[in-house]
Amino acid sequence: MRAAFVLALTLALVALLPEAAWACPVCFDSSDENRQAFIATTVFLSLLPLGMVAGAGLYVRKRARDLSDEASNSESPD
Amino acid sequence: MSAESATLPAKRPAKREPVIPNGVLGMMIFIFTEIMFFSGLISAHTIVKSQAAGQMWPPYGQPRLPIEETALNSLALLVSGMVLVFTWFAFKRDPGQARIPLLLSIILGSIFVGFQGAEWAALLADGLTMQSSSYGGFFYLIVGTHAIHAVGALIALLWTYDKLNKDELRSSQLATVSAFWYFVVLVWPILYWQVYL
Repeated sequence: MRAAFVLALTLALVALLPEAAWACPVCFDSSDENRQAFIATTVFLSLLPLGMVAGAGLYVRKRARDLSDEASNSESPD
Repeated sequence: MSAESATLPAKRPAKREPVIPNGVLGMMIFIFTEIMFFSGLISAHTIVKSQAAGQMWPPYGQPRLPIEETALNSLALLVSGMVLVFTWFAFKRDPGQARIPLLLSIILGSIFVGFQGAEWAALLADGLTMQSSSYGGFFYLIVGTHAIHAVGALIALLWTYDKLNKDELRSSQLATVSAFWYFVVLVWPILYWQVYL
């Protein structure tokens, strides 16, 4: 009895999912060009901040290493 | 006072140079937010363009943008950015040598902004306004936002030039303002490609 209730509840919840899926602008559109534009801009806007943060991190690390090398070279007795 | 502290010389920690000057770091963070802002505008423009009725862009009845004239004007902006690179190296050698390239960079940037203003006046006279279509709305929003940044960066470059003339300009200040101008210069070809072509 309980298993049947859980199954019915699950099916009811699954029945709600298509509404959410159809609301996804990236997934369905009558115009393929529009769908491609949504996918491209989503990927672009998702990767851009990650790329910028990674780039800034690499730049800071390189600068820190350069400064560290300069300091060790100036301290060396030769 | 203990015997140990009396005999050992006081050891001051060596002054550490920041990895990136504070001004440049602040400008980098600001530029990151600006890149995201322009990316949002470009993304919105791309999607609206893809939804255009019958894939006609610019929409029917709207004036065409002056592609060739703006390409020439873009060249002035790009040269301005290149001259600013020379300004940096000249400043490193001798600050006095940086005056002429910095002034040249400001003049070229002003030519770009002035021509953009003239272009706007002509387009408004032709009937392209913010309200005329989403084409006009996006044009004035994206290009106008860039123009505001260009004017702000030019004011900063003029301030830099004034400081240079008074022999008060530090290299970190020049680097900070230059970073902003490089952003204005480098973001423009992307906007031109997206909006004009």
